[in-house]
Amino acid sequence: MLRHLLLGTFLFAAACGGHSASATPSTAGGKPRVAVIPKGTTHVFWQAVATGARAAGEQVGVDVVWKGPLQENDRAQQIQLVQQFLGEGIAGLALAPLDHAALVPAVAAAKAKGIPVVIFDSDLDGTPGQDFASFVATDNKKGGEMAGHHLAKLLGGKGKVVLLRYQVGSASTEAREAGFLEAMRAMGLEVLVDNRYAGATVGDAKTAALNLADALRQAQGVFCSNESATAGMLQALEQLGLAGKVHFVGFDASPPIVAALRAGTLGAIVVQDPKKMGELAVRSLADLIQRKPVAPFVDTGAVLATKANMDEPAVQSLLR
Amino acid sequence: MNGTAARLLRSGGPLLGLLVTWVLFATTAGGSFTNWNNHELMLLQTAVVGIAAIGATWIIVGGGIDLSVGSTIAVAAMVGAAVLRAGHAWPVAALATVGAGGLVGLLIGTLVVGALVRTVAAAAAAAAVAWAAGALPTAARLPLVALAGFVAWRASARLPWSLPLSPFIVTLGLWGALRGLAKGLGDNQPIYFPRDDGFAALMLPGSALLPIGVWILLACGLLAAFALRATVFGRHVRALGSNREAARLSGVDVVRTEIGVYVVGGVCAGIAAVLQLAYLSMGDPTTAQGHELKAIAAAVIGGASLAGGEGSIFGTLLGAFVMTVVDNGCTKLGLDNWVQEVVTGAIIVGAVALDRWRQTRR
Repeated sequence: MLRHLLLGTFLFAAACGGHSASATPSTAGGKPRVAVIPKGTTHVFWQAVATGARAAGEQVGVDVVWKGPLQENDRAQQIQLVQQFLGEGIAGLALAPLDHAALVPAVAAAKAKGIPVVIFDSDLDGTPGQDFASFVATDNKKGGEMAGHHLAKLLGGKGKVVLLRYQVGSASTEAREAGFLEAMRAMGLEVLVDNRYAGATVGDAKTAALNLADALRQAQGVFCSNESATAGMLQALEQLGLAGKVHFVGFDASPPIVAALRAGTLGAIVVQDPKKMGELAVRSLADLIQRKPVAPFVDTGAVLATKANMDEPAVQSLLR
Repeated sequence: MNGTAARLLRSGGPLLGLLVTWVLFATTAGGSFTNWNNHELMLLQTAVVGIAAIGATWIIVGGGIDLSVGSTIAVAAMVGAAVLRAGHAWPVAALATVGAGGLVGLLIGTLVVGALVRTVAAAAAAAAVAWAAGALPTAARLPLVALAGFVAWRASARLPWSLPLSPFIVTLGLWGALRGLAKGLGDNQPIYFPRDDGFAALMLPGSALLPIGVWILLACGLLAAFALRATVFGRHVRALGSNREAARLSGVDVVRTEIGVYVVGGVCAGIAAVLQLAYLSMGDPTTAQGHELKAIAAAVIGGASLAGGEGSIFGTLLGAFVMTVVDNGCTKLGLDNWVQEVVTGAIIVGAVALDRWRQTRR
């Protein structure tokens, strides 16, 4: 019986092999097929990117394949995915690289095959417009400036501020911090601390913030450049009895941060627009496939969320 | 009829499993799955897990288990990345990487056979000499350090404190400890090194013949299969795994054999780490997470018995390939990640069920 089963599967495979050879993999129903590869699939942020990417795909008439590594941070698997999609002959690739160096050879292979690549969210070593077609991301420096200007407004244009940085070597948050410091200089505010780092987790950030207790008591304003640093600083301020007394501006949203915004212990946060990021990445790809020119850097915008505007639909959708 | 089925399953179980999965995806995903380039890619993507699984098979045949191989790969790769960053040529870094893997294997082996005290004594002696001889050049220091460690190891052989530990516990502990060490080696950051095209070519698809990484996998497989079947050491490992006491009574040096089998596993992890390093072109301390379970799964799908004494390198390679086929095929079909994980899990459980069924039939 087993022998018959084996024979049957062989014949079936042979028949199907012959049939499928005629399929053209790069188009589905006449629409060009593009792959969008995020850093992971379970975070709310990436799900919003997926929503935007799929919606844009419908509008511009490309078939969007959404596939991320099984484990967040698995660089090897992200390389595998890129290689596999290139082997399938997709018409275009949008990639949020998990590492600015590890994904370079895979993207170079796409370029060698003449497949347009759009990098989104995080940067890749190389020059946009040359090594890959375009870089679609939040203009982080502008986001930092936005936070700085708002803090200056809250302080009435004078006072002392503390900056708790995120982590050494993180390009996106360093750009936010640079933008913030530029705004502080332009507005003439005194920066008490700008050389302390929060570290990777909320716990680390809380410890780092508590170590800054003296500076925080002297300051009237505080800025943190990412979600975990903002959440850790928030906990530290509460523990020190400073919550709501110093003006605090953060970056990125999570449920406790949104709750603090509503309670008034957090003055404002700058939030990115992941849905727009997915949308613009796919639109840029569609333009590239039609051989239209695309800007080497596309800003997906950032929004300042405050207690006053947090219930407006446009802002609310970014705070989930 | 039943006898025929059992015989077929024993000899060709993994092959049948591969065939069924392959046909399943060939019929559903079509030409983009069945073409040669995709198969080259799948072979390449099997290389790292496949080599780690060869080591896992030796350990499982020897009656042990290694839950730390993913972390071992990360540590070894970070050592290699540090050597590359220091400006050495990639073959030097590859040797250092394999050596680091072998050392981790040695550590696991000595802990499992109960030589914890001896290991600490030898390490302490080596460290003391390294400190005392701090003024000497490295070339003179290294042999001295090695000699001190060796002498301390031999001298402590008569110590009464022997504390054999379950390999499950030892490698469960090292699973976390080695991951931490990998992160520490890079000061909590990845290690970036200057790009070397010759090194990256080990794991680059699209060459005329298969990429070198695949040849390394096949060479390791052949060598390991030959050694397991046809050498004295291989026979001792099998004897150790099927019945430790009987092996000891019939004159097998079980302690040395057991340490040896973990060194084999560590060296395999080191070779896998070299390929992972070439693939990533950077040292990633979080890499190869979950590879320990993939390696064990490959061995089990390939017919290795977790009770020890039984397993086939050929079957393991097929088992590793089955998992790549599932990953690849699910992506071709555009299945969600969660479906892919469920399918992979179901295949592993199915294979273990097959293993149990085969055992109860004898």
